[in-house]
Amino acid sequence: MAAHPAAKAINTQEITDKARRDLLQLLEAVRGKKNLVLERSLAGTIGLFVKFSTLQEYGVDKVFFLENHNVDSSQRNVIFLLRGDNAKTVRTVAEQIKLVRSESKIDHEFSIIWIPRRTRVSDMVLEEHGVLGEATISELALYFVPLEQDLMSLELESSFSDLYLRKEPTSVFASATALMRLQKQYGLFPRILGKGDNAKRLADLLQRMRSEEDVNASSDPSKTYLTSFGLTPSSVVENLIIIDREVDFPTVLATQLTYQGLIDENFGISNNQIEVDTSVLGGAPAPPQQQSGTAQPPTAATKRKVPLDSSDKLYPSLRDANFATIGPTLNQTARRLQSDQQNIKQQDQSIADLRSFVSKLPSYQAEQASLKTHTGLAEEILKVTRSEVFSAMLEVQQNLLAGSDPSTVHENIEELIARDVPLKTVLRLLCLESCLSNGIRSRDLESFKRQILQAYGFQHILTLADLEKIGLLVPRESHRGYLNPIAGAAGQTATDWNAVRKSLNLWIDDVQETDPNDTAYVFSGYAPLSVRLVQCILQKSYLSGLVNTRPGSTPPTGGGWKGFEDTLTRIRGATVDVTQKGHDADASHARKTLRGSKEGPKVSVVFFLGGVTYAEIAALRFVSGQLEKSSGRRIVIGTTHVISGNRAVGAAVEKRKFVE
Amino acid sequence: MSKATADWTRVGDRFYRRTQLYDSIFDPDLELENYIVTGAPYSGAVALYRDESKIYSFRGSKTAKSSIDLYSCAGKLIRRITWDKGRIVAVGWSAEERLLVVTNDGTVRSYADLQSDFSPFSLGHDAEEYGVTSCKFWSTGFVALLGNNKLVAVTRYDEPRPQALASAPVGEVISWTVIPPEHTSSRSVEVLLAVDGTVHVVDAAECEDRGLQAGPFRHISVSPNGKFISLYTDDGEVWVISSDFQDRLSEYESKVKTPPKDLQWCGNNAIVLAWEDEIHLVGPNGAASKFDDYNSFVHLLPDIDGIRVLTNTVCEFLQKVPDSTEEIYRVGSTSPGSVLLDAVEQLDKKSPKADDNIQMIRSNLDEAVDVCVRAAGQEYSVHRQKQLLKAASFGKSVLDLYNSDDFVDMTEVLRVLNAVRFYEIGLPLSYEQYIRLTPERLVQRLVNRQQYLLALKMSEFLHLPVDRIYVNWARQKVRSSSTDEDSLCEEIVRKLNGKRGVSFEEVAHAAYDEGRGKLAAELLEHEPRAGKQVPLLLSVGEEFVALDKAIESGDTDLVFYVLLNLKKKMPLSSFFRTINSRPVATSIVESSAIDQDQELLKDFYYQDDRRVDGSNLLLSEALAAGDINAAADKMKMAAKLLRDSKEYTAQVAALEDAQKLLRFQEAFEKDLNEPFVGLSVNETLSKLIKTGNMKRSQKVQTEFKVSDKTFSWIRLRALVSRRYWIELEELSKGKKSAIGWEPYFNEILGAGNTKLASLFIPKCTHLAMAERIEMWLKCGLANKAGEEALKAKDRNALEELRTKATGSAQLDIDRMIAQLQKGR
Repeated sequence: MAAHPAAKAINTQEITDKARRDLLQLLEAVRGKKNLVLERSLAGTIGLFVKFSTLQEYGVDKVFFLENHNVDSSQRNVIFLLRGDNAKTVRTVAEQIKLVRSESKIDHEFSIIWIPRRTRVSDMVLEEHGVLGEATISELALYFVPLEQDLMSLELESSFSDLYLRKEPTSVFASATALMRLQKQYGLFPRILGKGDNAKRLADLLQRMRSEEDVNASSDPSKTYLTSFGLTPSSVVENLIIIDREVDFPTVLATQLTYQGLIDENFGISNNQIEVDTSVLGGAPAPPQQQSGTAQPPTAATKRKVPLDSSDKLYPSLRDANFATIGPTLNQTARRLQSDQQNIKQQDQSIADLRSFVSKLPSYQAEQASLKTHTGLAEEILKVTRSEVFSAMLEVQQNLLAGSDPSTVHENIEELIARDVPLKTVLRLLCLESCLSNGIRSRDLESFKRQILQAYGFQHILTLADLEKIGLLVPRESHRGYLNPIAGAAGQTATDWNAVRKSLNLWIDDVQETDPNDTAYVFSGYAPLSVRLVQCILQKSYLSGLVNTRPGSTPPTGGGWKGFEDTLTRIRGATVDVTQKGHDADASHARKTLRGSKEGPKVSVVFFLGGVTYAEIAALRFVSGQLEKSSGRRIVIGTTHVISGNRAVGAAVEKRKFVE
Repeated sequence: MSKATADWTRVGDRFYRRTQLYDSIFDPDLELENYIVTGAPYSGAVALYRDESKIYSFRGSKTAKSSIDLYSCAGKLIRRITWDKGRIVAVGWSAEERLLVVTNDGTVRSYADLQSDFSPFSLGHDAEEYGVTSCKFWSTGFVALLGNNKLVAVTRYDEPRPQALASAPVGEVISWTVIPPEHTSSRSVEVLLAVDGTVHVVDAAECEDRGLQAGPFRHISVSPNGKFISLYTDDGEVWVISSDFQDRLSEYESKVKTPPKDLQWCGNNAIVLAWEDEIHLVGPNGAASKFDDYNSFVHLLPDIDGIRVLTNTVCEFLQKVPDSTEEIYRVGSTSPGSVLLDAVEQLDKKSPKADDNIQMIRSNLDEAVDVCVRAAGQEYSVHRQKQLLKAASFGKSVLDLYNSDDFVDMTEVLRVLNAVRFYEIGLPLSYEQYIRLTPERLVQRLVNRQQYLLALKMSEFLHLPVDRIYVNWARQKVRSSSTDEDSLCEEIVRKLNGKRGVSFEEVAHAAYDEGRGKLAAELLEHEPRAGKQVPLLLSVGEEFVALDKAIESGDTDLVFYVLLNLKKKMPLSSFFRTINSRPVATSIVESSAIDQDQELLKDFYYQDDRRVDGSNLLLSEALAAGDINAAADKMKMAAKLLRDSKEYTAQVAALEDAQKLLRFQEAFEKDLNEPFVGLSVNETLSKLIKTGNMKRSQKVQTEFKVSDKTFSWIRLRALVSRRYWIELEELSKGKKSAIGWEPYFNEILGAGNTKLASLFIPKCTHLAMAERIEMWLKCGLANKAGEEALKAKDRNALEELRTKATGSAQLDIDRMIAQLQKGR
């Protein structure tokens, strides 16, 4: 089946199209040429759904970033396109407007487009600065941005630090709003499941919003007719699974071993793009790196942006594979292309042959170019993974994940610190240990802290304090939660990793990387807890089969978390299980009849609050593929943003230095 | 019953009809010629105000007071707005029946929903200085022409923002009009100004002369669909051109000396010229017809599909006869619809002809039914509606298969239309207007007229939500009722409770606006949306409740909003106490203060006794500080905060070390003339070694208790990076290494010095023989590898080596193999 019905169930393309339409409409509303002022972090996001050339067609002359008071006055119309959550941004806008107004001779027309909504605070700040009346204000309700057909992201880069460092729930609210919009389009999620305290908050907020939606809908006169019957349970979406990142920090901290994951680790994917030296792509030998592990040598080589999405010929088939298998796959492709080329050379005698060759040429060339790019990238990554430091680091990580006594790896970590590997690498290992064993013995921790401060600078007192606040790096004493037997459903404060590792089979010794049979392939042995949680709901029999090899034991049946309640109580955070029913039984019945009585393929939405890694995405795609084969169901992933270990730890890392 | 065609008039090859909607509209004493009349679109309310430029007879002080009177189309007074604020320049309507009154000083008052109080806004400085000359309105905005020929546009009323358009040419504007944004290619409003002999098109960006010469144009008007423009020249000609000024479509000579008082479009294909009591209807291709049977002054109220003509005595609707109607009623029509209608009449007479008729149109009977249904929608006379529907119903019964949806829908629509056309309501909507207006907005219009019962009945009939009606009713109740607050609240709650989607917040707001704070608070408690309660709670002074509600809503923007308001209102210490017990509020204050107001945060941490946070804040300031001394001072303060407690000894020590390091680095910079500040301990060590300052590096090592292991690594890497081979060779003579010797081998090999690297191989005694062989090989010393194998007496390894080796090494290995065999 080329176009699987389930693939159409939640159409992410629609979201892209709508975002583009809405933005262009707003731009069109300002007559004539205009300068566009963007928040830097938004530039990539906007680029995901509209090209710069299209913006130019709509009269955008120049694009500026909001930062250093660089808005120029070359055009009469100035449009600001910004996120409105942050009071600081608003203040900057207000200052810029004042600045331009006082310096420029022309009478400027200012417009501000707030993403995703106009906030009260923004109005208040603008008013305080006396510019509220100066600008035409509108909003662009941009919530989910599809990165792929099965992956929607809110692209809130700061949501990890907001949620866990600053404990600020803005992104919970944004997520709830985004999911609510999804519900408005596709119907209520019949069941909301989740794990983690923030997941609970999100689920509560979703229910609150649902009850408020009735009132909201009717105060918006343009929509009354559509929503006048209230929301009914969806017939395309089966359930919503919310995973709070806090439940599973180790998966983020571990080094991803899929191709896409390693690209992200080494080059940093943002908005489906990476920026690399042209030398890497040219296949030419890159300059020798002083330190294996640093992502970018500080050469002045020109950088190029490489888009990484399903428009690439080879990437979709490569990205989710374990990196160990990438080499052979690329080899095969190269051989195939070569033989194609030879065939063409032999054949090009008649005009007809020539024509068919020419018609094939573009796709052939695209494939060739893609092959070249990926070979270059793979070689670059290989340089890193072959280095001694990388294997030392990986050894520590895999030992920790497999559950060996953490004190055995302490020496290795100390050596890594002495060898001056990047700070984030060290922090990731330490945080991994801390998370897996609920803290590091305080004497060891103090010693590590001292070494880190000496090796990387005393400014990292702040880094370490922030890591502790997030709960990534803590002394063991402060966590006694999981020994408390009465905590129960209220949620644990700590996860009993040893028990969970066993009951959910988080470590698989004989993992197959080439032809994977378990999600553990993404970390070459470790099966991410977050994905296992999803499997608890969607692949009950498979998971219990893994654990219970005894014949005769029956796999758990029923929906929701059923069958895994015991395990869940050993994992930190609240457990969510809500069933949503429509107001109006008749209406939901009618909807069902309209959709056809037979149960169509259904979609599970898995939402990661606080970020998802590419390795997890790969694992979920793997699960989705299995589900699709067995029952035609499918997974769509939603997230606040895509995260990696470096980004998670980076939320805490102090970037300033003592300087004169 | 008069014939359907009685009020038809032929203009060219089309028919136009005048439908009398209502009669005896106004008080006969009302001198309509002295009034300016504007009507809301879609047969909405009509606003009358006295034209100040006309002289009128004095009738005592009572009537002299000027006012704007709002009437329904049937002449029922809806509201009288007394006016004493400056000279009115223009009065206009928006599509949702919002009344806009513009005075010459540029003040605009906007009256929403016919009942409520106005909200004012200004057209800006220029308007104030030069005065407003006139205004042109469209469904969602208007453009004002100022005394200095500047144009100011307002494109939305929910948040009006006057916007200057490109500057217009100088010279007297003889007439002008606007093309609404929805009909222009640029999607922004365009203004057509007739100046001198030509027409200028002005929008936000530019002003363009269209180069017409036949002016000056007394009147200019744009058709409802924005495609055509009609112009009235000084010599009495009417021109119709396309709105892009490319095609000249038709011309008509009025042959009247005086220019008409008004020129308006009637639908999209005819123009009406109005003089005092006479109008001309100009159809396509210059065909025209004259109506001069009005016995008093006429006003034109254009609408999307026709034009309403208003006089003291009648209100009539002039439109092109709809196609379906024409098809059925045209004299001599033999269309299926017409035959079907005739069949029903025959049936009533019990004539067999009825069946003949049906047989005649048998093949297009379905079409005939459709036409009858559609024509019924176009009729104002209930009698003819019934007849047409009866015909349709009859035709339907003969057909085997027919989808009756359209028929049923039409009967429903007609019930609604007839109800609102009733003179008490006075909304003479045509079918077309009803479809465009939408049932929802029609309900809103009924609510505006306080026809709550009809609105409710209609909503139920059409399955529309009813919450807005209840809310509006309650708001009106709050405004007008004088009963005591408790019973009023009780009454409202009783009526509204349990109704889906009812927003108590709006009602509470109305109560608050009326100054009934207590009632507002009481009503607010019934609002289901926590977030919506917040702003009002803030205005009634319930800050803490507002804060809690905001937190409950989960919307951080709201929480932040309340917090900003709170911070302004209360002393800092009590502000801190307030947020202290609310973690969400605390984190929002913290995260916003981090990049805006660190002092506030310091105070907060101090009051809350959060020492580590306070100390870290100071450290962060130290990082931001420009020079070493300031940084050191800040760190001293940071350490001082923590010193009292034992818990933080490690951190205090770190802070002290940091200061110590800075002092060291300062000294090094002075001595060695190299930058050191900003480096970490390890980096300092590395740099000292690289610059050959071993003594100093050892001092730093002991001072900061850097472990031997770490130090060895730093030294090794520093030496290798600088290729200090001699020092490294020196190290190879050492007996012990804290990190073993393998790293030395690896690092030196990595730097490419195989000879030096090989020196370290024999020292790696704890490694297995095979590994050492590998190491030798990496250095390219196969014979040494062979010796290693020989020492271990490993024949297999030697054999393997032999295959890899070349040249003399191969010979050496052969020799060793031989030796090994001999040794046996």
